[in-house]
Amino acid sequence: MNPLLPQSRRHFLKRCGMGFGSLALADLVCQPSAFADTTLAPHFPPTAKRVIHVFLNGGMSQVDTFDPKPELTRRAGQMLPYENLQTERKTGVALPSPFTFKQHGQSGIPISDLFPHLSRCADELAVIRSMHVELPSHELSLMLMNTGDQRQVRPSFGSWLTWGMGSENQNLPAFVALCPGGMPVGGAANWRSAFLPGSYQGTHIDTSQADPKKLIDHIRNARLAPEVQRRQFDLLRELNADHLASRPGEAALESRIRSFELAYRMQMEATDAFDVDQEPEHIRKAYGEGPQNRQLLIARRLVERGVRFVQTWHGNMQPWDSHSNIREEHRKVANECDQGLGALIMDLKQRGLLDSTLILCSGEFGRTPSVEMGQNGSGAAQGRDHNHWGFSLWMAGGGIKGGTIYGATDDFGFRAVENPVSVHDLHATMLRLLGFDHERLTFRHAGRDFRLTDVYGKVVREVIAAA
Amino acid sequence: MKTGFPANMSLMSPSSISPSHSSRVRAMGVRSLFRPILGALAVGWMLSVGLLEAAVPAGTATNHWAFQPIRNPAPPPSTDPSHTDVDRFIVSALQARGLSLSPPTSRREWIRRATFDLTGLPPTWEEVRDFLADQSQNAREKVLDRLLDSPRYGERWGRHWLDLARYADTHGGSAIGFTRFPFSYTYRDYVIRAFNADIPYDRFVTEQIAADQLGLKENDPALAALGFLTVGMQYRNRHDVIDDQIDVISRGLMGLTVACARCHDHKFDAISTRDYYSLYAALAASSAPESLPVIDSANTEDARRDYQRELERLQTRYNDMAAEQNEVMRGRLRMQVGLYLREIAKGVPEQDVSTEFLSYRTDDIRPLILNRWRDYLAGMPDTDPVFGPWVRLARLRPDGFEQACTNLLTTLQKENGDPAGLKDLHKLSAEAPRWNPRVLEAIARQPRKSMVDVADAYGELFGTVQQAWLKALMTASAEAAPGAEIIPDEDPRQLEINSPVVRQLRRHLYGPNSPISVPESVASSLLNRTVNDSLGGRRGAIHELHLSAPGSPARAMVLKESPNPAMYHVLKRGNPLARGEAVKPQFLSALSRSDSEPFPDGARRLGLARAVVSPENPLTRRVLVNWVWQHHFGQGLVRTPDDWGTRGNPPTHPELLDYLASAFAADGGSIKRLHRRIMLSAVYAQGAVENEKARNADPDNQLWWRMPTRRLEMEAMLDSMLWTSGELDLTMGGRPFDPQAQPGVLRRSVYAFVNRDIVSNLSSTFDAANPSSCTARRPDTTVPQQALFALNSEFVQDRARALASLTGKSAGSDDAQRVHELYRRVFGREPGATEVDRILRFVRTGDETSRDLAWQQVAHSLLAANEFSFLD
Repeated sequence: MNPLLPQSRRHFLKRCGMGFGSLALADLVCQPSAFADTTLAPHFPPTAKRVIHVFLNGGMSQVDTFDPKPELTRRAGQMLPYENLQTERKTGVALPSPFTFKQHGQSGIPISDLFPHLSRCADELAVIRSMHVELPSHELSLMLMNTGDQRQVRPSFGSWLTWGMGSENQNLPAFVALCPGGMPVGGAANWRSAFLPGSYQGTHIDTSQADPKKLIDHIRNARLAPEVQRRQFDLLRELNADHLASRPGEAALESRIRSFELAYRMQMEATDAFDVDQEPEHIRKAYGEGPQNRQLLIARRLVERGVRFVQTWHGNMQPWDSHSNIREEHRKVANECDQGLGALIMDLKQRGLLDSTLILCSGEFGRTPSVEMGQNGSGAAQGRDHNHWGFSLWMAGGGIKGGTIYGATDDFGFRAVENPVSVHDLHATMLRLLGFDHERLTFRHAGRDFRLTDVYGKVVREVIAAA
Repeated sequence: MKTGFPANMSLMSPSSISPSHSSRVRAMGVRSLFRPILGALAVGWMLSVGLLEAAVPAGTATNHWAFQPIRNPAPPPSTDPSHTDVDRFIVSALQARGLSLSPPTSRREWIRRATFDLTGLPPTWEEVRDFLADQSQNAREKVLDRLLDSPRYGERWGRHWLDLARYADTHGGSAIGFTRFPFSYTYRDYVIRAFNADIPYDRFVTEQIAADQLGLKENDPALAALGFLTVGMQYRNRHDVIDDQIDVISRGLMGLTVACARCHDHKFDAISTRDYYSLYAALAASSAPESLPVIDSANTEDARRDYQRELERLQTRYNDMAAEQNEVMRGRLRMQVGLYLREIAKGVPEQDVSTEFLSYRTDDIRPLILNRWRDYLAGMPDTDPVFGPWVRLARLRPDGFEQACTNLLTTLQKENGDPAGLKDLHKLSAEAPRWNPRVLEAIARQPRKSMVDVADAYGELFGTVQQAWLKALMTASAEAAPGAEIIPDEDPRQLEINSPVVRQLRRHLYGPNSPISVPESVASSLLNRTVNDSLGGRRGAIHELHLSAPGSPARAMVLKESPNPAMYHVLKRGNPLARGEAVKPQFLSALSRSDSEPFPDGARRLGLARAVVSPENPLTRRVLVNWVWQHHFGQGLVRTPDDWGTRGNPPTHPELLDYLASAFAADGGSIKRLHRRIMLSAVYAQGAVENEKARNADPDNQLWWRMPTRRLEMEAMLDSMLWTSGELDLTMGGRPFDPQAQPGVLRRSVYAFVNRDIVSNLSSTFDAANPSSCTARRPDTTVPQQALFALNSEFVQDRARALASLTGKSAGSDDAQRVHELYRRVFGREPGATEVDRILRFVRTGDETSRDLAWQQVAHSLLAANEFSFLD
């Protein structure tokens, strides 16, 4: 986990006059330039060692996916028996789900026919039906979901995690954000490191690009053939070795030399990791066609290689934002990722990786059970508005108790009423699975110890298998 | 772990801290390592100034060391006449631990170190050679003078300052794309000019906080200094914007984390929420004026004229639409009085209006208007003919409301006297009775069970009045049409217009104090989103013109204090609706005399600036000299450069810190003299050499027994590559260039576009300052992405190619000479014989056709080498 070679590490420790008891501190103090290499001791034995966050950006409708509400059908076309909650735009009468729900697996978790493949893994899922955020605004809710704060510039979950856990593979970035066709709303702010050092920022990769060589900045030299570069690299090594020889014990010099060695190897390994063509055909078929499915396969290849946090975004801007025609629009986006989601869970399971890989699948909020009144004031467009009052998400693997449903919304799926779960609670729970007490994972900045969960957050023990 | 001072350690750490703060994972650990040495140095000093208790109960520590006056300690005696005053402090502390300075570095390395430190670029070979040949006593001084006089100095140190000032060219916080500041560069250029001109530090700081309050001419370029406050993140929430300003002033200039006190009294330092909101009151009274002052006249007349013409056109286009839409909205608000009164009758609490209002619906309550109605009614006398009844009815208890309401109406009607007196209201001379009869009539029309019912009565009445007024206006206009019948002024048909009773009602809809009469700029923020978006497009066109029109003049991003600022309060727990005690604009109490006056109105920021730079302020000068020291030595004398509170690290050399701060003041706040003072020392001239004995005694080099090895920051690295390849374009100032969009522009990095919305991969890979908040010290990471940039980027390879060809031309066919040229340019030294051989072997392997490529690879390897990237 730590790229310091044992030999030079011992050298540092000796120099610091310290024992092996405080390795991370030794790095920090004796070798400030190794900032990026330090990891913290976990507070608990972690069940999850890595995370895949499937972001359904735009906002998945809960009443059309994981939170069936027969009341909506019963009251189709009528106003809800209470004043509609304030969302971004005016909404009108109850809009029943155009999709059919069935119970799946031993646990009987109801899932709509939007996710036929994923449904086969129902017993792996813990569905939280009582999520809520603060405002019906994409930008703010994305920031909240990713950084735990919707207004201030704070580090993202992936940055906190890679800062806390380090990387298992120094040949690849520890935190990768995959998004086909551009950027989600909010862009790089979604995976920013803020006051954590810049190296903990997520590396954004546009997966609409199928050529793995073009995925990471400067990963290949476009001008030099590998053997020509090899010769040059050898020259550079000699120059650096000479330079170091007259400056014995200079940790910063050694550290940079090591980073060049890693970079040199990364040129090969990183492109390999992103090259799904190296997968056998049956695996590629299992995940299915299209960039959303393909990037789920890339995500598996990355976590398999020790990447700590992979976030897959459904696409540019906000593809799940079905303000009109929920029937067609949600069908389309669900179709684009359902097969890959099912395959991802099965694939990780077969490889024995599911137990240590936490999958989170969520949007930034849900959608209204009532129909959105379009600009002409009618609900003719058959769409749903943003809904921050209540929504669903699911997690799987990494110590999650499969086959669980937690929390509930009201009779119409509008507002979380039973065991409401905030984003801070979600983050606290995820950190717990990853071995951290969210109250103790802190970073000193501007005179204060900052936490991902600020002063909030309660672990939802009911979704944890071993809790 | 050996510590000579176990007893002292407890003095250095607050013993009781809250659980969440005390459970820090790493920061405490680091401190525990720092402590032994710090204890050694600091405790003795603290004893000497009677500060022992300072460290005990954190949070109340106005007697904290950093809050004590700056003293002017005499340097310890020294036997070495070559040692400067700075050296004496350092050497005596080293000697106390049986250590000494490392042997001096070579003169060649010294000039490289000094040149990078002051200009961010390497020395030329000629400069190196001249210095090596200069045997005069003051050879080093001559070098420093030359470097400090170079315009490159301001670019280098200006960039350091921009880290503190969290400088960026975009607003930040934008979700879709980003918005550029059209004039942020004028602040950047001001900073560079200020460093080059060595403006006295007090003046420099004062201009950045209050240039507009210094009586400068309206076009004075120094007005751009206010960018310090205005180039920060453009949060949607006003409180966050002020918070950012408080942070940059307090943390950036004084090393204090005042922003902690936004929600609660500082947990560790003597800073209360009252202090925070006193600064808030000093800053919140100011905002950016509608039009920013022009500070240059460099453009050609034609371009300027075109720009001016287009600006007027776009502004008219915007203003017309805004004025119309605002009027439409006000018209609706006049019909919606009932909607708002109903909310107030229901007891809906005050609305937080600090975040943007978004709505698609005309009938959504505008929180700001609701607040205005609430305030309006709260200040309403119970004698008002229209709202007097409302005020009196609102005092009634809910039980028995209906009866009490009827009784009150009867009384008021009686007070009005005979209704028959209300004749001839259409006459211009008519007067209204004591209570507006239409109000009484409207309320009395049906039983009223509560104030909500009364609100409905008022609402209906105002709706009727508004509509009747609009009709009357139309009629009055129509009669003026050619050939239409003329109606005399006092004709009964003019009743609606002339009636004093109706006029009383209309006053509440149209009067200057009416809740509906919101100023244009505020009104625009309340429009429906579709209208707002369309107006936004028109505003955007103006913005775009400022940003990119060739004739768009440079403008200063100034602030202007309101002539009648609001009253500010402590906001409990930071909640804008939970107002606590009122505050005056004032300085931090821990740093003020108890009898100090509030900052004067009209010059609140000037008052604040004067307090920051006051000779009695113990922090500002210490923080500045520490910051300069840090940029010469990699670490400051206080190693937490932006936290000088009780939780920061105390200084390793408190007396040296005070000596430097005093000397800095005596030098009139000249930063250039401070550089000389530091750089002419033996401490600065010592070698960067490991020493096992010293390392064991002082693992963190807190005693400065060696010069640390430092890596070039991103800007110095990129600029130096360009400099080395002979390609650096030294054009100064002006609009930023975008390195991604304009790879052919090879200017210094300080002039590159800084995007805080989308931080460039290069900036984050190479630890550039985070442009969203004040950075006193950059992180220093070593990651493979940096190496990938060095190995594979077009940028580095293009420089290598240019460097190879440059040295090829000057050395001609003499390959060995070419190696010498390369080493001189890149490393500032001659290569050794084996080094020349190695390069020649590399170049001569392979055939003639690949010779050019081989030289490029050599140049590339030198640029990627550690020797280029590190300063010894």
